[in-house]
Amino acid sequence: MAFSPGEVKFPTKKLFEKTTHLMQDGMNARAFGDFPKPEALGDARWTDDLILATWFMAETGEIPENFNYMTGDSDGGFDRLRFKFLEEENWLAHGEHLDTRLNLNRRDDGRHQLTPDLPIYGGGMSYGSVSVNVMMSRARNSKKWNSYMSTGEGGYPEELYQYKENIITQVATGYFGVEERSIKASPIIEFKYAQGAKPGLGGHLLAAKSGGEVAKLRGSVPFVSLFSPFPFHSTYSVEDHMKHIDWVQTINPEALIAVKVSTPHDVDMVAVGSYYAGAHIIHLDGSYGGTGAAPEIAKKNIAMPIELAIPKVHKFLIKEGVRENVTLIASGGVRTADDVAKVIALGADGVVFGTSDLVAMGCTRCANCEGGPSGRGCPWGLTTTDIELQEWVQPDWGEKRLDNFYIAVQWRLRDIMRKLGLSHISELRGRTDLLRYVEGSEQ
Amino acid sequence: MCVWPGKKVLYWRLTPTFGTTNNSEARNGRCEPKAHGARRMVLSAEFDHVSSSSKPTNEAWNLSRSEARKRADTYQRYHIETATTEDAWGIPRRFNVKVGKFGLAKLIFTEFFRYFGHWETVFSRPCTYGVFSGPVGGFSPRPDLCVGCLRCEVQHPDFVTVTPNGELRALGDKYLTFHHIYTIDQEAKMGTVPVRGQGYRGRFGGPGFDGMFTDMSEIVRPSRDGIHGRELIGTAVDIGAKPMHLEFDGEGNITNSPSTFNIQVPFIFDAPSTTLESDAVARIYAEAAEQVDTLAILPAKSIERLGLAGPNVVPIVTCSGCSVGPGTRMVELANWNLETYSHFKDQGYTVGVRLEMAGEWLSSLLEMQDCGVTVFHLLADHHGRSGDGRFLIETLKEAHMALVEKGVRDEVTLLGSGGIAGADNLPKGIISGLDAVGLDHVLLVAIQARLSGDMQNRDAVTVQLPKNLDPVWAVQRLVNLSCSWRDQMLEILGAMGVREVRRLRGEFGRSMMCNELEAEAFGDIEGFPGGGQ
Repeated sequence: MAFSPGEVKFPTKKLFEKTTHLMQDGMNARAFGDFPKPEALGDARWTDDLILATWFMAETGEIPENFNYMTGDSDGGFDRLRFKFLEEENWLAHGEHLDTRLNLNRRDDGRHQLTPDLPIYGGGMSYGSVSVNVMMSRARNSKKWNSYMSTGEGGYPEELYQYKENIITQVATGYFGVEERSIKASPIIEFKYAQGAKPGLGGHLLAAKSGGEVAKLRGSVPFVSLFSPFPFHSTYSVEDHMKHIDWVQTINPEALIAVKVSTPHDVDMVAVGSYYAGAHIIHLDGSYGGTGAAPEIAKKNIAMPIELAIPKVHKFLIKEGVRENVTLIASGGVRTADDVAKVIALGADGVVFGTSDLVAMGCTRCANCEGGPSGRGCPWGLTTTDIELQEWVQPDWGEKRLDNFYIAVQWRLRDIMRKLGLSHISELRGRTDLLRYVEGSEQ
Repeated sequence: MCVWPGKKVLYWRLTPTFGTTNNSEARNGRCEPKAHGARRMVLSAEFDHVSSSSKPTNEAWNLSRSEARKRADTYQRYHIETATTEDAWGIPRRFNVKVGKFGLAKLIFTEFFRYFGHWETVFSRPCTYGVFSGPVGGFSPRPDLCVGCLRCEVQHPDFVTVTPNGELRALGDKYLTFHHIYTIDQEAKMGTVPVRGQGYRGRFGGPGFDGMFTDMSEIVRPSRDGIHGRELIGTAVDIGAKPMHLEFDGEGNITNSPSTFNIQVPFIFDAPSTTLESDAVARIYAEAAEQVDTLAILPAKSIERLGLAGPNVVPIVTCSGCSVGPGTRMVELANWNLETYSHFKDQGYTVGVRLEMAGEWLSSLLEMQDCGVTVFHLLADHHGRSGDGRFLIETLKEAHMALVEKGVRDEVTLLGSGGIAGADNLPKGIISGLDAVGLDHVLLVAIQARLSGDMQNRDAVTVQLPKNLDPVWAVQRLVNLSCSWRDQMLEILGAMGVREVRRLRGEFGRSMMCNELEAEAFGDIEGFPGGGQ
């Protein structure tokens, strides 16, 4: 049965002013500690402190003093890892000489040499799962940071073409919105085999969020559930995968190829296979990652957390003698600058941010992205295409929030680097000797 | 809660339900299935005139090609019929919402002048879920509708407070938590797979089943048909013994055909705690088991008194004098007794033995297997622990491997109860070695019974049933739960590329243990237990 969008209309100017003013002031009031932390805010992965710290960073571009901005409370993984900093007298000076850039093309094959300013780029969130305003916010911020953001599997909205140098076109199993035009426009083409939060299950855009523009871009009719099957129906082997890559490279010979996979037991073999098929970037998405909608049973229970997959893949790539020829990117539960540094110390080159971007723009992780009981999607205007709600996040504001957040992340990354005596972020890669595992009261 | 597409996913029912049973009385028509089973018997009867030695050709069935096609098109896929069943007594809401009336009045007063004439703006509310949409808006909020987005509390930090509801959090215990209870309630209400946004919110790994991850494949799916390939996954399991090899007589006829029957889902309904003596619950379990086509295991006395006997009901018998009603396919011995076992075995029943995992349980199991027992129902406590404190994953693996080692695994069916708290526990129990998983406390939660007291030890829990328990309602709740859990099982199997649940039994390679992965990933990191520098 088709979903009925009901009586929702574009907000008046007054209503827009009132709502955005109250929301933004309220976020700041919480982030600056003017009021107690909301009791119902946060969970073990994203604690109330982490959410409020991210809001603080997004507002100020600085690291907060009163919140734990480094770790969550999940009792494992990143939350049990700490850095073994040098004695203070051996610390480097903090400053721009500490290089945080990430090299995305290590194949020396004459294609684009892409080096974002941070070892971070934006993960796929499709048009439909989020609004164009959110996509525009992320695209603008990506441009500012000489970085990239993935379209996700929902097509390439026309508005994004002005930032095409910073947009990754995702080709996923439903091929929604995949066009030769968008493939030609992108510096990176991302094949999404699976998503960490629902590995092996494909995608599902619920009817409520598949409104007119969303459906049009996906080549569908409005308010019908759209399924992205699992896996690619044309891919049953590395050879098939190679043919896939060959197809997009025929259209865009300059583009880098990223392959996004989840983290099964044999993720190391998958990574090596992807490399030999021609991937420049292997993107591992761990099981604690975000999603716009996924069966609850899939989250956590299928595949492994990213912390456990990175060393496995890193070591196997070294063993195969190809580690220096490929960029290893991790996502799925990477929340903070400290997590970014830990990911790199465990063996990856960089990370993809998804949920962190949304939290910076006001997400409270209430988990109603898929529509919730209202059927309208995120009440904060993030994961919705409701014509009223999506207006609460405007690209100017969103861009500024993300920019500030990334400034704070870069500051903290440099802080970690200097305390470890490293001048380039790549020097941290695989340095598990700079980590220690803590238990009990040390956490 | 939203509907995940797996809800209507079905598979071909090609196997006649009673076609492989060795129960002569069942073959002779003692099985008289009721409404649901009747449909299956039609198919079964159609195969009856085909002798076991005939080749299954159209000619053997006297069918033309077109008739065969027509017949094939009438095959029904297994399907669980769900219907929304509202709560009999409301589960406590997730959040409490408090609004300071003075603060709200002050806001309205201020905005009245600031936005004078723009009444839609003045009276706009920071909630899309209707918490403030009652007749007097925020002056009388409706916290039952709150989903905890916290927009109201963030927008109006000076006079709105949203707090987790302590009443909800007090439900259950440390194993069967309020999260489980809330989820089971939703599953029993809707019959769907719970789908939500955002990622995982809990602790890293964890004890018990939380420490196990299931594997998946990047490119393999169970079939090339259908959207996801999970449409044709089989969830039927065999109960009884299959020979490890076939034997033939001089004329080439099979002399040791499997002595099994199958149920359509890899879970059974285990008897409620003895602290709950409820005829109503026994009737509900029996009826729901029949509708789902699984087994309800109940005390023989209750079955006899209530006239519940049938192919989907398994009486727990204590002695050979226990009466077993018509249609029964299987009995379970409350305790091992050779005489009782022989008594029922000789009558052609599949005989299982309930075995608490305490003391020398594994040796007992192997000894009983030597005596011919083919079905074992292993019992852990309600936290999944055996007598020596070990968790199910370890003990079930031990039982499975002992039987593999002995070379008789297929001759034995392992059922297991205790410690099942969520849908993810099903595949994990099967991976650990079970053929089918026994549900106990979760069934009571599904019919909104309140559990209290000692919830770990068998037969110690205090159970409070809803007042005026409506059996039709309660049966539908169990049917809904069964559909939801089966569909979630399909999600897991689909991700693995496994086409039938029988192939998952004891497939440890389809799982990953968090502690082992941690040792591999963090083993060289300083401070990691057992590793590091």
